[in-house]
Amino acid sequence: MTVLSTRLQTPLLLIGITAVVLAVGTAGGPTLERVATLSLISVVFVVGLSTFSGNSGVMSFGHVAFMAVGAYTTAYLTIPVPLKGVLFANLPESLRWLAEVHTSASAAVLLSCAMAAVAGLVTAPVVARLSGLQSGIATLAFLLVVYNVLNSWTDVTRGSSSMIGLPRSTTIVTAFVAAALAIAVGWAYRTSRSGLQLQAGREDYWAAQAAGIAVGRHRAIAWVLSATICGLAGSLYASFLTTFNVNAFFLSATFAFVVMIVLGGYLSLSGAVLGAIGVSVLQELLRRLQDGGLTGGSALPPGTANLLLALVLLLTLVKAPYGVMGARELVLVRGGRRLRRGAQAVRTPAGS
Amino acid sequence: MSATQLATPPPSVLRMAEGGIHFDGVRAVDGVTLEVRSGEVLGLIGPNGSGKTSTLNLLSGMLRATSGSIHLDDHDLTRLSMRRRTRFGVVRTFQSGRVFGRLTIAENVEAAALGGGLRRREARQLTADILAELGLEDVAHQQADALTAGRIRITAIARALASRPRFLLLDEPAAGQNESEAIALITAIREFAQRRGCGVLLVEHDMSVVMGTCDRLHVLDSGRTVTEGEPALVRRDPKVIEIYFGKRHDHDAER
Repeated sequence: MTVLSTRLQTPLLLIGITAVVLAVGTAGGPTLERVATLSLISVVFVVGLSTFSGNSGVMSFGHVAFMAVGAYTTAYLTIPVPLKGVLFANLPESLRWLAEVHTSASAAVLLSCAMAAVAGLVTAPVVARLSGLQSGIATLAFLLVVYNVLNSWTDVTRGSSSMIGLPRSTTIVTAFVAAALAIAVGWAYRTSRSGLQLQAGREDYWAAQAAGIAVGRHRAIAWVLSATICGLAGSLYASFLTTFNVNAFFLSATFAFVVMIVLGGYLSLSGAVLGAIGVSVLQELLRRLQDGGLTGGSALPPGTANLLLALVLLLTLVKAPYGVMGARELVLVRGGRRLRRGAQAVRTPAGS
Repeated sequence: MSATQLATPPPSVLRMAEGGIHFDGVRAVDGVTLEVRSGEVLGLIGPNGSGKTSTLNLLSGMLRATSGSIHLDDHDLTRLSMRRRTRFGVVRTFQSGRVFGRLTIAENVEAAALGGGLRRREARQLTADILAELGLEDVAHQQADALTAGRIRITAIARALASRPRFLLLDEPAAGQNESEAIALITAIREFAQRRGCGVLLVEHDMSVVMGTCDRLHVLDSGRTVTEGEPALVRRDPKVIEIYFGKRHDHDAER
């Protein structure tokens, strides 16, 4: 294998795995296609989250807010104008243009990413300055702020009423293309100058400062990039479901995505992708188990699926604190530049 | 590239004047004045708790001085962060190495080269040069926290060299090694530094290690300067003997 293909084998393998999801979803019935599409959208989101958390070592509980920004932007831009006249009858004067504006589906995707990037830029200065627990709380506070604005500013956001009537422009193929793109961008950042310096800061903040690395600046760059990717996930999500509610972008979604990234291994891109797909599959299996469809028996009490999912998370955290992948990346052939990350060494806490 | 990397910068002086810091009323460093010049190795010695590491922290910017000033030639570094001082060429290491554990050795060094503002290609070249110079090529792609303590120490030095230092501040780089290993390591460091025309401040508590490897010694006790000078003279200084070997009179009195 040439050096180039050795270094690109991880993103190519991961894109290959998402292609399998595409193939299964296309071959199966409508239910399977829906599950597969949603899992590909999860891949986009979790890769976005991993672009920040994996490289910085700082867990974020606020990224669902960027997904919300993407979803609402897509709703404003794609719901047919006549319907918007009805849905947003009470828009304040200064925002009246929102009811008139309309773009193509692809322009809406791009603008949704851009709006999420703007939200990332606005919050980046805070994230750049905080570490550890403070940062976790700050990201959660950001989610609460966005949720409360969306939930309370009824004239503009419809509050707790659903957004309806989006044209369905996301197909399983577009979701796959977006997942592949997210993986490529996530990998490019991870191996970039900024990504390497941010990982150094993740391993030891003060040693990185002593090496001249502006850890905060690289955190901010990763934050904005990851916000953009999560905005893309939100846009796809909105135009796939065609109707959504503000509650889709709050704690239960945050929990579901955190389970994915933690189970897979938040330090590696492979962990993010495998976690997103693996947990999607697991959730679907558990749902069918709960319905009794899997065993052919009677339905189990509601909540069983979530309970079992929580149990799997708990056991994984005990057995493998850094997730299934740890800091390793998926490879076929060892020997490349960054492919020798020992499995055992991952267990050692950083800095000891 | 090797030529640029090793090009000798104009001689300069890193100087702390009356530098001091106190924590909760305790004066950890109390009005210490010292100078390191390009190309020389200054040993900073003293018993445990004498303020050696605190002095290094003041010079590197890990701690901000509560009194006094720190200058690199005409540049006032006193209020600059550690990161900015590194960019000025005042680069430190840590006692425990503090390598980037889940990165490879090559990535450890490359990250520091990038932190110093190099482009990717230049950073990779500098990394390759330094790894070759320090004999780390065979472990270049191993994860840092899987290495032996000795290799971690060398990696920490390699990383500091990647910041293209004009002054290296080394905190017990040979800690935990026996005397002859320590002398060999510091002699090697001395060579790397002199090839670059770089000044070295070496914190060390073992007097026998610094005797043959340092140009001058600066002795601290209880945060204050005891004496400074050539190793041979310093070793004969009664005040230094008193600090290191206890007061003769007390021993006599006890008998």
